[in-house]
Amino acid sequence: MPTALLDQLRRIVGAPHVLTGVECSPYVVEGRAPTAVVLPGTREEVAAAVTLAGEQGLPVTPWGGGTKMWMGSPPSRVGLVLGLKRLDRILEHEPGDLTVTVEAGLTLDRLQAELGKRGQWLSLDPAVSDRATVGGIVASDASGPRRHLYGTARDLVIGLTVIGADGRAVRGGGKVVKNVAGYDLPKLYIGSFGTLGVLVEATFKLRPRADVDRLVIARFDRLKDAGQGARAVLGSDLVPSAVELVDDLALQRLGLGSGAALLVGLDGIAPQVEWEVAELDRLLVPLGRRDSRELDGEARDETWRALGALERPGHDAVAAVMRWAVLPLQMAELMDAGTAAAQRNGLGAAMTGHAGVGIVTASLSGSADPGPVVATLADWRDLAVRAGGHAMVAWAPLAVKERVPVWDEPGPTLRLMKGIKERLDPSGILNPGRFVGGI
Amino acid sequence: MPPLTDARKKSLRREMESLLGAGGVLSDPEELLVYESDGLTLFRALADFVVFPRSAEHVSALVKLANREGMPFVARGAGTGLSGGCLPTEGGLVISLMRMNRVLEVDYDNQLAVVEPGLVNLHLSWAVGPQGFYYAPDPSSQQACTIGGNIANNSGGPHTLKYGVTTNHVLGLEVVLPDGELMWLGGKTRDAQGYDLVGLFVGSEGTFGIATKIVVRILRKPQAVKTVLAVFDQIDQASEAVSAIIGRGLVPAAMEMIDQLTIEAVEDAFGCGYPRDAAAALLIELDGLAAGMEAQAERVVAACRDCGAREVRAARDEAERALLWKGRKSAFGAYGRVSPAYMVMDGVIPRTKLPYVLGRVNAIVAAHGLRVGNVFHAGDGNLHPNILYDPRKPGEEARVVAAGAEILKVCAEVGGSISGEHGIGLEKADYMPFIFSEADLACMHRVKDAFNPAGLCNPGKIFPSNKACVEVGPAYRPHPIEEKGLAQRF
Repeated sequence: MPTALLDQLRRIVGAPHVLTGVECSPYVVEGRAPTAVVLPGTREEVAAAVTLAGEQGLPVTPWGGGTKMWMGSPPSRVGLVLGLKRLDRILEHEPGDLTVTVEAGLTLDRLQAELGKRGQWLSLDPAVSDRATVGGIVASDASGPRRHLYGTARDLVIGLTVIGADGRAVRGGGKVVKNVAGYDLPKLYIGSFGTLGVLVEATFKLRPRADVDRLVIARFDRLKDAGQGARAVLGSDLVPSAVELVDDLALQRLGLGSGAALLVGLDGIAPQVEWEVAELDRLLVPLGRRDSRELDGEARDETWRALGALERPGHDAVAAVMRWAVLPLQMAELMDAGTAAAQRNGLGAAMTGHAGVGIVTASLSGSADPGPVVATLADWRDLAVRAGGHAMVAWAPLAVKERVPVWDEPGPTLRLMKGIKERLDPSGILNPGRFVGGI
Repeated sequence: MPPLTDARKKSLRREMESLLGAGGVLSDPEELLVYESDGLTLFRALADFVVFPRSAEHVSALVKLANREGMPFVARGAGTGLSGGCLPTEGGLVISLMRMNRVLEVDYDNQLAVVEPGLVNLHLSWAVGPQGFYYAPDPSSQQACTIGGNIANNSGGPHTLKYGVTTNHVLGLEVVLPDGELMWLGGKTRDAQGYDLVGLFVGSEGTFGIATKIVVRILRKPQAVKTVLAVFDQIDQASEAVSAIIGRGLVPAAMEMIDQLTIEAVEDAFGCGYPRDAAAALLIELDGLAAGMEAQAERVVAACRDCGAREVRAARDEAERALLWKGRKSAFGAYGRVSPAYMVMDGVIPRTKLPYVLGRVNAIVAAHGLRVGNVFHAGDGNLHPNILYDPRKPGEEARVVAAGAEILKVCAEVGGSISGEHGIGLEKADYMPFIFSEADLACMHRVKDAFNPAGLCNPGKIFPSNKACVEVGPAYRPHPIEEKGLAQRF
């Protein structure tokens, strides 16, 4: 990068907050090193940096906690990494209104700690919440098991401030939980992987913390039986916060034995939870439940954390991770079919799923050789799409990504998406090439 | 679009009749009058045609025809909207979805349904009720309003604090885009890849196209429901009680507040047993598991008492529950006892700002020589000041509109919004700058341009623009049959 340009960046954010050369190594994106890393401290600095990048035709990669930079198609170009960690303030918390406005660089755990002081929480439970930032979570629409009852970012974000490709701040939504003024722009930015703007602020609706929060681990011999258990739970009067299907290999990885399991989150006041635990017993025992454990407190949290970690690369020779979206009652059967397909290719599969919303996370292991991995991912995509759903490669090494598309074939909606992208980022500088359809 | 000649009108009418059948097209002025306004009768605009498709293919063909003719078009459901959103302000085509009103599919196992846009909201809940399910977004007009209209406005209702609004219950949409192309956005599965086009379409007030099939979530009915009524001598106390209830870890299904004027009107009209001199009545509804319901109700009662409630009543059975709700539900009807007309305003504020905002609302309305009764969805901050007036008095309607604009400014000032449920439509388009910057509006324009580059799909809505082709003003105009001496108004 020309010195003149670096100097301009240094003037915008301050020299200590511009990294070059070897200092950039923690910010490599899918094997590509950025030409510089900039760490703005305010949204005005973000806007100025983006404006400058736009003028120079320099691609911009927003970076929160860096916990999901491997998600998406490999970038076509990497120029400037824009690190948001210094934008980490809570701007407003109104407990009486159940709303909070925060800067995008705050980690979720730190936000929850503050909210917890007033007995409230943001009802989102994505993995690695100690490192993932609010901005990154919203941009990748990350979620966890509690989405079953509490929804995802799409249900919890009520306002967003984004720095557009032209450096101007755009505010969508507002600070109130009910708002139909104008277009629902936050929906556009949520899950857009930084391709339409750099998130700098978000306003969320909150919930009071429940008195009791329990995890029940019900083990079965076969996934099929756990699937029947899920069906019974979903058709009952229970109001669980989470319903997770866990297969044999995933259960082993969690250190919870073998076979299969249904993990059910129950929260509320004590009489409610007690009734629900008893009702769960009544529903699951006749379906072949082998045994059941209840966890509270740290043991409960640790189990949910470990479950979330399964969807990430970087442990136990994970060769690839795929996420499917299918219908809830198709899940158990498709998970079994997927495991069989993996085994035919000489690989192992560990699978978990949000049983009430139909989202499966399938983790492949057993060989570093791309051949069988590519074949299995193709089989898996086929399974999901033929069932009427879709599949996304959440993580795979570059050698595999070269041969298996991360995203499904987009279909007719691509022209609408491209139309939006072209109008909001005409020069294509925001995270180019990572998104659906090559956006 | 230049005005259509009689010959062109006849020719287009024949063409559309050959597509839809003889009963599928209206173009006579008397017939068109019925469709000249929605629930906000302040604004009126005449279409050139009102048409009644029965399939997505019909809708697509009509939109393509409109494009060919350079003719504006707008979709219409039941016409219960309160912001003029379905008015054909530039003439052209009103595409009524009322004959596309079927439940196409219900999947109880996967808790979803596929419906047509003209289906009445309440009818969907009725359809899935026998199996123990319901459709959660329940605006007060649900006996008449349609799912398609709900999509356009991202409709809410009293239960949004706990259950969200329409957008939280829609999984997929088949839409006819403004150029006539038929396309699916989302579907039955979650997390559709790419931009959230479904989320963007919901609440776009008919400017991004016309939904022809909707995939919705259906929920299992809660096991139990419990209602508590609390009466307060001061608005502040009622407002604090709402925060106190939340502070005790509860998220009620609904929290509704009515003010003194409304209470008096209700008691005059229906005698529901609310104390006439109370400053506010707060109705709280809990729903969920039967286990623990009594304990939760006790917390609500305690919270209200701690905040100085004069009286707190918990319903002991369904009959008592209906009685407690009767006051709230009769509020709008009761206004008719104390005033010839009223205008429903729709703003949102942070809940904690209610006492301040109500003080300002009352002052603004008084300064315009009018009266106001306030209904507040306390759970979500949605305020409905109902300004009472007499449309027969010259200038009164204009003062109502002026008061309304000032009220919305106050909502914006305290960090709220200018619409909680009714949408921007025509009525509030000029107020968008109260809450959005020029950059915000420019971004929305660009997104609209991606869907609606020709600008034919429901023009003149949402964004500030001139209202040249819309009639505004005194609500009364003689109907053509009156002018012909065939009928009289009493």
